[in-house]
Order: sequence, then structure tokens, then C-alpha cells
Amino acid sequence: MTTQRIAIWKLLWRMIRYAFGLYLLDTILWLFIAGLPVVPGLIIREFFNTLTSTETSGSAQLISLQSPMVWVALIFAVGAARIVAICAGRVTKTQHRFTMSSLLRRNLLDKLLQRPGAESLTVGRKTVSPGEVISFFRDDAAQVEDTVVGTNEIFSAGVFAIVALIILFNVNARLTLLVFLPLVAIALTLQHAEARIKRYRSASRQATQQVTGLIGELFSAVQAIQVAGAETPILNHLRWLGDQRQQRVVQDQVFTAIIQSSLENLVSLGTGLILLVAAQSGVGGGDLLSETLRERTLSVGDFALFVYYLAFVTDFLWFFGGFLALTKQTEVSLERMGTLISSVEEQESNRVEGLVEPAPLYLPDLKGRMTELPAIAQPKRDTALEELRVENLTYRYPGSDTASQRWSDRGITNISMTLERGSLTVITGRVGSGKTTLLRVLLGLLPKQSGEIYWNGSHIEQPDQFFVPPRSAYTPQVPQLFSNTLQENLLMGFQTNETELRKAIAIAALDHDLAAMPEELNTLIGSKGMRLSGGQQQRAAAARMLLRQPELLVFDDLSSALDLETEQTLWSHLLAITPRSPSSYTPTYLVVSHRPFVLRQADYIIVLKNGVVDAEGKPEDLNIVM
Amino acid sequence: MQIPLKQYTSLLAHYLKPQQGRVVGLAIALLSSIGFQILNPQILGYFIDTAVSGGSQQKLLIAAFLFMGLALLTQILTVTATYLGEMVAWTATNALRLDLAKHCLNLDLSFHKSHTPGELLERVDGDVNLLSRFFSQLVIHVLGNGVLLLGILIILFAENLLAGVSLTLFSLIALSLLLGIQSVAVTPWAAYRQVSADFFGFLGEHLVGREDIRANGAVGYVMRRFYELLQRWLPIYQKARFASTILWSTSVGLFTLGNAIALAVSAYLWNQNAITIGTAYLIFHYTNLLNQPIERIREELEELQQVEASIHRIRELLNVRSQIQDSGNAHLSAGALSVSFQQVWFSYQGIKPGDREQKITLSPSVHTLQNLSLHLPAGQTLGLLGRTGSGKSTIARLLLRLYDVQTGEIRLGNIPIAQTPLSELRQRVGLVTQDVQLFQASVRDNLTFFDARIRDTEILETLNNLELTEWLQSLPNGLDTQLGADSAGLSAGQAQLLAFARVFLKNPGLVILDEASSRLDPITEQCIERAIARLLHNRTGIIIAHRLATIQRVDQILILEQGKVVEYGDRFTLQNDQRSRFSQLLKVNATTLMA
Repeated sequence: MTTQRIAIWKLLWRMIRYAFGLYLLDTILWLFIAGLPVVPGLIIREFFNTLTSTETSGSAQLISLQSPMVWVALIFAVGAARIVAICAGRVTKTQHRFTMSSLLRRNLLDKLLQRPGAESLTVGRKTVSPGEVISFFRDDAAQVEDTVVGTNEIFSAGVFAIVALIILFNVNARLTLLVFLPLVAIALTLQHAEARIKRYRSASRQATQQVTGLIGELFSAVQAIQVAGAETPILNHLRWLGDQRQQRVVQDQVFTAIIQSSLENLVSLGTGLILLVAAQSGVGGGDLLSETLRERTLSVGDFALFVYYLAFVTDFLWFFGGFLALTKQTEVSLERMGTLISSVEEQESNRVEGLVEPAPLYLPDLKGRMTELPAIAQPKRDTALEELRVENLTYRYPGSDTASQRWSDRGITNISMTLERGSLTVITGRVGSGKTTLLRVLLGLLPKQSGEIYWNGSHIEQPDQFFVPPRSAYTPQVPQLFSNTLQENLLMGFQTNETELRKAIAIAALDHDLAAMPEELNTLIGSKGMRLSGGQQQRAAAARMLLRQPELLVFDDLSSALDLETEQTLWSHLLAITPRSPSSYTPTYLVVSHRPFVLRQADYIIVLKNGVVDAEGKPEDLNIVM
Repeated sequence: MQIPLKQYTSLLAHYLKPQQGRVVGLAIALLSSIGFQILNPQILGYFIDTAVSGGSQQKLLIAAFLFMGLALLTQILTVTATYLGEMVAWTATNALRLDLAKHCLNLDLSFHKSHTPGELLERVDGDVNLLSRFFSQLVIHVLGNGVLLLGILIILFAENLLAGVSLTLFSLIALSLLLGIQSVAVTPWAAYRQVSADFFGFLGEHLVGREDIRANGAVGYVMRRFYELLQRWLPIYQKARFASTILWSTSVGLFTLGNAIALAVSAYLWNQNAITIGTAYLIFHYTNLLNQPIERIREELEELQQVEASIHRIRELLNVRSQIQDSGNAHLSAGALSVSFQQVWFSYQGIKPGDREQKITLSPSVHTLQNLSLHLPAGQTLGLLGRTGSGKSTIARLLLRLYDVQTGEIRLGNIPIAQTPLSELRQRVGLVTQDVQLFQASVRDNLTFFDARIRDTEILETLNNLELTEWLQSLPNGLDTQLGADSAGLSAGQAQLLAFARVFLKNPGLVILDEASSRLDPITEQCIERAIARLLHNRTGIIIAHRLATIQRVDQILILEQGKVVEYGDRFTLQNDQRSRFSQLLKVNATTLMA
């Protein structure tokens, strides 16, 4: 056993504890569902015993027919009770299932959103695409859900297996002890197979993840694929990945089947053995037995009961064995999810604990009553920016240490700068020189490896927590919008009035476009905002940023999709806010741009080259690029 | 019963035919394991009877060993059936997945604008996953258990006529009842599948937008939308699962009834001295045995509810037709292609929505292009100018037939583009836009779009043409270096250079550059200029630009304004004409930008 092994039982227990009331209720109902079939066993024994006893007494045929009918009526009653339990149990089980997977999904999403926003998601140092991440939310969450909700089913089965065992023990102690033989065999088999179960499962999950990854990318890039006329080769690649997945999953499933059927077989063999021993110890009809011999031999009724209850015990045994195998596979899922939410450095010490943290889910309760969602926390305006100072900021992309020397060129090294209130600082430089990286590291969207950031002289410990509205807002080079209305996309939970909203739209030079939209702010902008043109997307993202009136406005090549006139309109609007406008709002700008007219208006220019500052100064001091 | 058998059979026939052998093997394995299920209790009954009548130890031993032998055999069969079943299921679902992916890839953009990648992923993968048992086991199980049921009933008839008749009646009633209520849960399950597709669509989009979400303080908002989705999801899940429960509780009720009947009948017969105690036990046992096939059929029916919902959704997806007809068979000539537009009118509103949602046009006038005519001889280059939303990019989309014109005609190499096979058209027209989609794959696969036929030497030569050799050498594994999804590890500018390389590799007859260099810095842009010159050599070109610097080399100039041509002509002529819009633009550019 390795040391990093996750404590699966502890994790499952924490998940059970999350909705413990629901779990208990569900368990009780499942005890009934699983346990009620025990009763007919007793009834049937009495039934057969009544029949055989009438044979011995040989009298009063009428009475003897009545008493078996009482047993028949009892069977009805038990059946009805079971139906009620099933209906109620389904409802609680559904609720519990949904709660368990929702908790995992919530924590997974929450942790992923807590990760530095621009850092790519990795598993085992390999980047994973959004399509691949979806398979964690779908398949791995479902796997854990199955296991958690399986625990009370196994518990119920276990309880009745024990009850059955006690009954069996009373019937015949010696025979009952034989039941433990298959149990030992199951334990040995599983221990032997554990490593393989996990290896196969992990391979099959990975293959699945690659397929979902490609399908996700395929539909994200559908226009590029159509334009390139590349449908056939891409589908061929998908076919190949599908074949890989088929191989891995079939391997996994067949191995699981081998384990399961071996367990079943061990149990069957055990049953055969017990029957054999029972036969050898002598089974006789009730009529042949004297009271004193009852201890050693079985009546027909006893025998029927023995067979009936033995099935309980043996079914439980292989059910339990199968469940243990399932938990091995669940371990794989939890490990995978744990790796996904951990950063590269943390991946050694898996952060899987975070997945099972209790957190409110606001689900409707069993009666379907909705829980009101809390209001979205609004940003509080605390400090006005006077001066932002950055010292020796360094960030290297992962892989830099392990890969070749040249690879480590990627990133930024020892960048320092100071931004005064109301100033415009422009970062420029060639493609791949680290401009975007610098913005991201400053805002905490990538974790800095060294360097310090001071806001009005005070040290910022966690840039990613600090650099959010109203302190700062950011528009990336390729902004992402979401399939919703334009208004939702701009607000994203930010509370403001219509005037402010319109104002931001006007500054972003989106007002004319908006007027042309049939449903104005309620226009659905389509998947990833694809119904808007590239330029409209950029300006919508700019409006989203401006709306929040942040102290620090950060944008990366804001106008790359805009024509000259629109671009100039936008810039003149932006710069009109600063710094001498009558409004009290004075933003500070940090932008990446190549445009000469932006560079000319800059208060300070930083030219980057290969991740380091190549030149810097006021525009008049730098006669480059212009 | 309302099970759409015809749909099922055609689906099964289509995807199972190529693997007939396996299906037959699977059927044999499954049916024999069902057969063993009927044999095993026989042995048990024999065992009990022998034991009760005080039969010899030897007979008992034989029975016990037979019982264990069968158990072993059953295991072998189970494993074989699993293997064959999984193979059949995966081969079939993989083929279906590919067909669906292909279908969706060929759908026009208006469809993709209203369906997120995450949603489509769930429909192509998630919905199909549910069909796996349908392809491999469902039918065989239903049939096999039907046969099993029949067998048990026949044996019961042989045991005793009354028992046979009553339990046959019972089975008939039970099965028709279960079939009758089977379809109850199909609609809720279809609703459930849609919410789950919406959920994964939401997830996919917001995972891509993490940077925007974090930096604009919208994490709380995204979590709230997540909770809202959960709130919508759970009641539908409850409804679907509860509808399925009706089937389960009905079968439990029926089984209780069956047991009661069996016991009552055997009590009666025993009372009449018509049967032995062993037979009485057997009747009880067979009723229990009846329960098993009926339960199994019930389980399959429950599964079928979800399968039916999925099949319905898959068919719905397959029924979405692309607005673009691909029926041409005229071939394009090799080399540069001439381009002509004849009185082209186009409006995004004219496009019938590919689905329920209404297509929304965001341009001010109804028509994005109005009466556009132009002629660009083979080998020449056109510079296309105009403000955002003037219709420039639309021209590129029309040339690639991402949309079709409403009136007028577009010719390429003097052949109407609708008459050229779509794949050939898109192979011969190269488009570079400022949005570059990269795959989570090697540099090579990203450049070739996974086309293994393109040789490395070609790729290296192209990269050399683009002066990217140095960049390539800086990668740890050269062409095999894995690029991250969402161009992680590449700057947006570098990604744009790769987009140029992609087009180079296609060797097109017409090259369209739609603001292709807008994310590049001036120095890299100059670098690219040389590459563009090489790319346009002996090719026809259309350069769409916001900025004038990029169109220094063109032969013709066309200026668009709100879908209308405001100026079109030879560049030299326009440049020298003081009153032309173009020469004025050049002047403005020179004074405000270059000064």
C-alpha cells in the first residue's frame, strides 16, 4: 500500500454525514425493502410445516386447509407493505443520489473556479480540455454517487444476512459455520485483484475522457473545421480514440465480470458444499423424527428455510464482494477528481478532501419545497487606488523545469512597474513576449512564482482574491461570453441601474449595435456569444468590465477585432473618463496594445521582449514602434 | 403497447448487421445461461426429493456436484457474454456516435450558435451511452427471459394442469400490465436528458470562461446559476425516477399475488392428496422462478424507458437538416480561382432557423449584403474595407458556403459555388480569421487537422516559409509537442501564425484573410507580410482589413458600408482619384495615425 493512497472510507463517511438525516430515512426504508422478503421465508416454513403436520395428524382436513390460508393472507400483507416502502424509498434514494453527486459537482466546480483563472487544468501534468473536464463531472461523479448510495443498500442486506445467519444458526449451528468459508475466499480474491481493478478502471476513464475531450473541441471549433474542410480526418481521429476507449472499457468490464462471477461462483460452490454436508448429516421428513433427534437432523420445513435463508447470506456475500470491487473503482474516480482540483505543485499531496466538504446546495426538499438562493454578494468599494507597485514579478509556465532549457524561455522574469492613479500604462512587444502573461500574473490569474505586489503601499498576499471588482476588472484578448441574454452577460450578477448599464454600453461603443438588436438587452447572444460579431463580442466584454467601475481597468489588446473608427471611438470614450473628468470616478489603465495612437497617449510604456523588460519610459523618450 | 418497434428494429439492424457473428455468439451465451437458470432449481428439487425420501448418498452427491459444475459453467458463460456484449455494444455505439458527430459537424452555423459544445457533447456521447445495453443485451434478455418463462410454464403444465393454467394466466396478465405502463416514464426521462445536456452545456462554457469569470468577480454569479440548474434538475429527476417506480411496485405486487396463488393452489392440491410434498415445494419454487424472468423483463422495460427517451432525442438531432445542400458535382480547376458575385442579396434573417429558436439578426438593415457585384480575375487580390458589421466577413462566409445567398449568384473559377461539392469547395478556399481554434493535440495534428496524409517535410517547409522554424526548435518535442486546449502555452499571436500555416498546407486556389493579422504586433506583422506575399503568389486573394496598412499590395479595392458597395475599382485608379473614398481614407490614416 502506498502512502498517498486516499482514505476512501473516510471520504465516503464524510459524504454520508453531509445529508445524514436523509441517509438514515433512506436506510430505514431500504431496510424494509430488503428485509420484508425475510418474512415470507418464515411464512413459507410455517406453511409447509402446517402441510406436513396435517399429514401426521390425519384429522380435520377442513381446519388444516384454513390455517395455510392465513399464511397466504399474510404474504399479501407483506407484499403491500413492501410496495409502500419501495415507493417511499425511491423518493428518498433519488433525493440522496442527487444530493451526493450535486455536492461533488458543486465542490468540483467551486474548486475549479478558485484555481487561477488562466492556468490550464491539468491531470498528471497533462492539460485537459473542457470536454475532458466534463467527463469528471459526469462519469466520475456518478461513480462516487453509486458507491455512497450503495452503502445503505449493502448495510440493509448485511443486517438481514446477519438475521438470517442467526436463524440458520438456530436451525443448525454446524452447517451455518460453513458459510464463512466463501467469505474468506472472497476477501482473498479481491485483495489479489485490487491493483488490476484500479489499473483497468483508470485506463478506461482516461480513454473516455479523451473521447469527450475531442467531441467537446470538435463542437467548439466547428466553424474552423468546416472552413478547413477537415471533417473527415477529424472524424477518423475520433474513430481511433473511440476504438481505444472500446478496448480499455471492454478490458475493464470483462475483468469486473470475471471478479463478479468468481465471487458468485465461490458463493455457489459454498452453497453446494453446505447442501452436501446437510444431506450427509441426514435430512428427514418431520414424520420420521422424534423430538430428541430434531437437533441433529432437518425437517423439510427447516430445509426449505435453510435454502431460503442461505440465499440471503450468500447473496449478501457476493453483493458485498462486488461492492468492495466498486469502491476500488471509486478510489480511482476520487483520485482523478482530486488531481484535477490540485495545482501542479500540489498534485503530490492530493487535495481530494476538498471534494467532500459540506456546502449548501439549496436543493428542493423531499416535499419539493424550494429553498431561496442567497443574493449574490456585491463588491464593496474599499480603497481607491493611489499607486500600484509591482516588484520583480516572475512566472514560468509549467514544464519549464522538467523540459529542455529552451522551453524555460516561456514566461516573464523580474518585471517591475509602478502605476499612478489615473495613468495609462501600455505594455507592448512582439508576439509571445509575455504581455498577456504579465497581466495574468499581476491579477492572480496565473500564480506568481516570485515578486511582490503593493496596492497603495500595502502588500497584496493573494492577488487572485484581491484583484476583483471594484478594485480591478479585466477583458482578455479573446473574451468569453455565455449563451444567455446580452444583459445577463454584461451584469453577471452585478447589481446596478439601467442608466449605469446604458452608460457602460455607450462608453464601450456598443450602443448603436444594441439599438439594432431586435430584443435589445434581452437578445440571446447564442453559444459562446457566437451570434455577435467578433467586434461586438469585444465591446460587450468591455462594457461588462466598465459597468463595474473598477479602480484599475486592465485590457488585453481590446480593439483587435474593431475597425479604425470604432476603435478610435472606443478609445476616446475610455480616455475621456480620465483623469480630469468631473465625475469622481478616476480609473487607472493597464493595457496591452500595439496601436500607435494608444502608445502616444500613454503615460508610460513598457516594451517586453522574451519575458523581460526591453525598454520603458514615457512615449516621448521611446522612439520605437512609432 | 406503444413501443415503437419499427424504430428499434431499424436501429438494431443498421448497427448490428456488421457484427452478425458476435451477436449470434452473444445470443447463444446469454440464452444458455438463461437455460441453466431453469436447470439449477431442477437439481435442487431433485436433491430435496431425494433427501426427503431418504435416497442414497450417492444420488445426493451427484446432485450436489452437478449443482457446482453448473455454477462453474455459468461463470464461463457470463464472462463470455460480457465480453461479446461489451464488444457488440461498443462497436455499435461508437458507430452511432461517429454518425451523430458527423451529422452535427455538417450542420450549419445557425444550429451551432444555439447549441453549446457541452450540450452537443452530452447528446452525442451521453445519450448514446445509454443505448449500450439496448444494442447488446436488451432484446436478447427480453427474448431469453420470455423463453424461460415459457419453459417454466410448460414444466408447470407437466407437473400439474391446474397449476399450469393458473400461472400461465397470471403471467399473461402480469406481462401485459407491465408493457401497458412501460411508456409512462419515457417523457419525464426525455426531459431529464435535456436538463442534463443543458447542465453540461453550462459547465463547458463556464469552464472555458474561467479567466473572465474570475477577473470580473462573477464566481458567485456562476455558482448561483449552478444552483438554479440543480433546482430545475432535481424535480425532473424525481419525476422520472418515480415514474419508473410504478413499474417496479407493480411487479412486486404481481409477484406477491403469484406467490399467494401458488401457495393456495398447492395447499388445495395437497389437501386433495393430488400432489406430494416435493411437488408442492416445486410449485412454490417455480412461482418464484416465474418471478425471475418477469422481474428481468421488468428491469429491461425500465431500461427501455430511458433508452426510448434517448432514441427520441437522437432522432430529433438527426432530423435537423442543414440549410446547405451538398449536391454539386462540378469540379474546380487547379491553380488560382477567379471570384465573381452577381447581384448578391443576403440576409441572416432569411435563414430558416435550424431548430426551435429564432435566428436573430444583429445588423441594422434587414439585408447584410445588398446587390453586391464584383469580379476578381484569377491570381489577383481584392482589398475589402468597411466598418464592423458592414458585411465584410459575411462575404467570406458566403464564399465558403457557411451560408447560402438568397438571390444572386457566386461563382468560383466560373462555376456557381452551389454546384461544387462542399468538401472540394472548402478544400480549395483557405480562410484565416482572427479566431484560431486549437486542439489539445500535437503541433502536427493542429496544423494538419489530424490528416495523417500530410508529410512532415511539407509541414516543416511551411513553417519555414512563415519563419516559424526558430519557434519550432524552441519546442521540447518539435512537431510532437502537445499544445494545450484553448491555446494554452501559445500566445494569441502565435496561434494566429499557426492558422496561416494551416492554410498554406491546404494549398488553396483562393485565400481569404479576414483581419488575419489584427492580433500581431507591427514587427511580426511585417514578418507575416512576406509570408502573405508568398501565400498569394499564383493564388487569388481577398484581404479583409480594418486597417489600411495590410492592403498595400492589392489589385482591387472594395469599400462596404452597411451591406452596400460604396466604392469598387482598381487600386491605382482610386488612389490617384482625389475625390475617392479610398484616397481620403489614406489621407486620414496618414495624418491621424502615422504622424
